[in-house]
Amino acid sequence: MEAIDRLLDRARKGESEALSLLYRRFLPGIFGYIAARVAHRSIAEDLTSEVFLAMVENIHRLRARDEAGFIAWLLQIARVTVAGYYRKQEKHPMLVTLESEYWKEERRTALVIPTTNLASDPAHQAEMRDEWRRVVQAINTLTEEQRQVLVGRLILGYDIATVARMMGKKANAVKALQFRALNSLQRLLGKQNNTEYTRQPYEEEIR
Amino acid sequence: MKSPPERLNDRLEQRGTDSWPDETWAEGFLMPVLHADPEVDGLVVLAKHLQATPQLQVNSAFAGQFERRMLRHYLERQKQRTMRGWALLRFFRVHPVLATIATLCLVLLLFSTSALALAAQVTNPTNPLYSLKQWEQHVRYSFASSPTDQAALDLQFAQDRLNALSYLADQAHTDAYLQALANLNQQFTTTASAINALPAGAQQAPLASELNTLESNARQKLRGFLHHLNLTENLATMTELARLGDTVPQLTSATLILPAHPNTTATISLSGSGIQPDAQLLVNGKDLQVTGTVLHRQFVFVVNWNGNQHPWSLGILNPDGTSAQTTSITITNANTNSTKNGNETGNKNGNGDNNGHGN
Repeated sequence: MEAIDRLLDRARKGESEALSLLYRRFLPGIFGYIAARVAHRSIAEDLTSEVFLAMVENIHRLRARDEAGFIAWLLQIARVTVAGYYRKQEKHPMLVTLESEYWKEERRTALVIPTTNLASDPAHQAEMRDEWRRVVQAINTLTEEQRQVLVGRLILGYDIATVARMMGKKANAVKALQFRALNSLQRLLGKQNNTEYTRQPYEEEIR
Repeated sequence: MKSPPERLNDRLEQRGTDSWPDETWAEGFLMPVLHADPEVDGLVVLAKHLQATPQLQVNSAFAGQFERRMLRHYLERQKQRTMRGWALLRFFRVHPVLATIATLCLVLLLFSTSALALAAQVTNPTNPLYSLKQWEQHVRYSFASSPTDQAALDLQFAQDRLNALSYLADQAHTDAYLQALANLNQQFTTTASAINALPAGAQQAPLASELNTLESNARQKLRGFLHHLNLTENLATMTELARLGDTVPQLTSATLILPAHPNTTATISLSGSGIQPDAQLLVNGKDLQVTGTVLHRQFVFVVNWNGNQHPWSLGILNPDGTSAQTTSITITNANTNSTKNGNETGNKNGNGDNNGHGN
């Protein structure tokens, strides 16, 4: 794999191949960060597109020369993009059709193939969506630093030292943030699960 | 025993190296962890669950489609930028006069910007760019948006005027020094008025404090100049020091007793405040290098006197460089009645310059 500093230099000079490689390498992390903040996949994809369009527009101004600096820059764009999305939502609430995409799809196939497995069971699908919405709500209550640690560690698979560089913090501080983030999530999801009906995705697993 | 964050991190790192040997997947669910570390086990499972959750995974169809769209967008932007550059070049080829005017404007703009940038650094008033700096300060002042900003600028300009004096504090730039001293005086007055006009409170207090500090610096600096100045400059500086609240010598009376016979000695008695024991006598602005004696709270100087001439000013020069002069002199003849000489324009400080003007 080409070193990130050389890749960034080439991208700054306007080489589209370098932009492609950067996009492929960092798409999972940025999408993961945004999808953890916005419950709808289609909206998460739109916002991810905005982040990478901003990347190609502004990469010539970027000063970062290493991977940690670059991902910190991208996550900053993603954070601003998500914040902008929620601001717009407050002003103009999105009108969502009562007929979900799942049901549109279901109507096309239901008459042809009878569904028996869980993945295509409408009730199961709805349940999964509700469950994910609760997870997103819980993630949104974390601090920005806690979210960035989770993305860096769990989605991008960075080690503690890289995440520490990315966030400009010491390794011990990142470990503490990681612990607090997962702890808060566990507590929030546990609380929700106790008050509402749910499949209890985590509690069941560790029981 | 390691702390919980350390233990959690160890477990997550372990997962990275040997694929979580202690946990196994069964029908899509994670089985309980066998580390018997209840504080951490649940968090490890939660981390694993988040990592594997399909909602956080990118759809490969979206990834491919958007990559093509992103590159198309990038190439279009590059093309637009290039086209814009060429369009401008073509326009100038078609209109050479406009191209020349644009180039001249650009050069002029560059020149004036550089000159302004250079002028802003100038503190020496003899530098030709100093007047440009004053103009630039005037423009800045007129663009200041609030009275507080204007007062802050006034303070800054007062500091500039004080710095400018350093370049003129010698005997070769008398006129320029006197002018710069007058400018400093005026700037201090303007600044004090601007600060006093502000409403009392958080904005006024720091500016008033800065003004006090600046006045104190000015007193110190002006006193430092005294030994390099001629008498005219010195007396003007005394007036400014008095205005800044410094203690300066003052003459309240001057008496000359002319000799009864020509070419003998005359007696000059001076009284006032701030006169130091080794002060030297000034007659008509000249230092006679004579020191006096104290007699009945008066400084008495005995000097050789040629003929019956009447001086128009008498003064003293203290060892620390401070001075005082008066043109209000009582003249008596050793064997006749007294007369009053000189105009009566000596000011409250008792200082008068060699043109007979009170300061």
